[in-house]
Amino acid sequence: MTAVQKRILINRIALVFSTLSAIIALGFLFWILGILVMKGMSALNWNIFIYEGAPPGYEDSGLKHALTGQLILVGLATSVGVPLGILAGTYLSEYGKNSKLAHAIRDISDIMMSAPSIVIGAFVYAIIVMPMGHFSAWAGAIALAIIMIPIILRTTDDMLQLVPGTLREAAFALGAPKYKVILSVVYRGAKAGILTGVLLGIARVAGETAPLLFTSFNDNFFTTDLNAAMPSLTVTMFNYATSPYEDWQQLGWAAAFILSMFILGLNVLGRLILLAGKGK
Amino acid sequence: MASIIDIKEECALQVRDFEFTYKGATSPSLKKVSMPIAKHSITALIGPSGCGKTTLLRAFNRMHDLYPGNTYAGEIEFEGRNILTPKEDLIHLRTKIGMIFQKPTAFPMSIFDNVAYGMRLQGIKNKTELNDRVEKALKDAAIWKEVSDRLKHDANGLSGGQQQRLCIARAIAVEPDVLLFDEPTSALDPISTQGIEKLVIELKERVSIIIVTHNMQQAARVSDYTGFMYLGELIELGQTEELFVTPKEKLTQEYITGKFG
Repeated sequence: MTAVQKRILINRIALVFSTLSAIIALGFLFWILGILVMKGMSALNWNIFIYEGAPPGYEDSGLKHALTGQLILVGLATSVGVPLGILAGTYLSEYGKNSKLAHAIRDISDIMMSAPSIVIGAFVYAIIVMPMGHFSAWAGAIALAIIMIPIILRTTDDMLQLVPGTLREAAFALGAPKYKVILSVVYRGAKAGILTGVLLGIARVAGETAPLLFTSFNDNFFTTDLNAAMPSLTVTMFNYATSPYEDWQQLGWAAAFILSMFILGLNVLGRLILLAGKGK
Repeated sequence: MASIIDIKEECALQVRDFEFTYKGATSPSLKKVSMPIAKHSITALIGPSGCGKTTLLRAFNRMHDLYPGNTYAGEIEFEGRNILTPKEDLIHLRTKIGMIFQKPTAFPMSIFDNVAYGMRLQGIKNKTELNDRVEKALKDAAIWKEVSDRLKHDANGLSGGQQQRLCIARAIAVEPDVLLFDEPTSALDPISTQGIEKLVIELKERVSIIIVTHNMQQAARVSDYTGFMYLGELIELGQTEELFVTPKEKLTQEYITGKFG
């Protein structure tokens, strides 16, 4: 066998193995999605949105409690995490720049981004749930916000740094004070990127279960009391799916389907916004 | 050794023994530069890369202050005061001394909002006044005809040459006394360059202009006075025609005849 033939053979073997690996990896993904869509779609009906949780065997049982709880928890977390994340990212890009403090914040935020979410749940349990003496929506939202902040902080930082320095200089050259330069020029230039970061941050926390087990816990009934335990799609899914009752398992599939579609939607929307921003 | 012409007319700016050192640098990037900038005329700064012409230009509106750690020495006189003092109000100074950059810097907003940006900073909110002044600035920058029907469109949809004229409109809308041009045509095609050069010449009736350029022909075409800089020093400042035809310094002659660059 000549050297060239040998290289062609090695090339073919590598191609076959990498293609096979890709098919196997994607196969699992489509398997999961397929089952989710099949089981989820068949479990979907209007009752899910009308009724709250009920003991197994009841006709009128639904996910209204978990859906509202989920929206409240994610909404609260967003209203805490997004402003903090964007402002901190703004500090890094526009004020801290290459200072030691800025680098330290970036490093810590990277570590926080890869911290297991259950650790953050345990932390919030220790500093909020324990002193208060009970689970609460507040604690759950704070845990989610803590997970969200580093994601939004880093995307904001990165996106602001992509805005050309000459654009800032041009605004300064017209006599703009720094805060005006940031608000009216830099934020506008990075709008699409920051919005995408926010959406991805929300998508990330919307699927969290572990930190909620420690903090907002669960409730089988509809509630809007932020000082009490609050149901969420994820924890409800965990409880229903692992129960021995078939109607509860059905609701678990429905919850899984709705949650996945919500997160998929956020991700697609984020990418669309980024694409539209680039197209200009 | 430097040969600096004595300008008889009124001066917009006076640079005296100006030295500038970048943060962390051991030697100054500009050494004892002294020069007058004549009012209502165009002064071009030429010289090889790294000679300090852009550094000098960016000192006139204190752009260097955006990056802490740089040091100034000497003085630049404007409206009877030294603008290098710490108590100088930079926001006010920059409305009096505007700047046009190498690359067009259209803000990510509509054409109208771009031109209105500086005026809004000064607190002008009256709609009719804004409309009138935006229109006037765009007309003065010779771009009104091209954009009058799409003022609400995104400024980034304009071509490079149009964006540069938009930036000029934005700068003159706040009615500065001096305009600084930092290689304003080096990112543009020849036809757009011609347009900008024509515009710069028209503008000198109302503002004093300093233009940094890599292009000697451009300096010869547009300017009344030309300063040749080399290694952080101003070697020669003279009337443009004289400097290009009968330079007084040997270095100037070598540079304009292309012996180095």
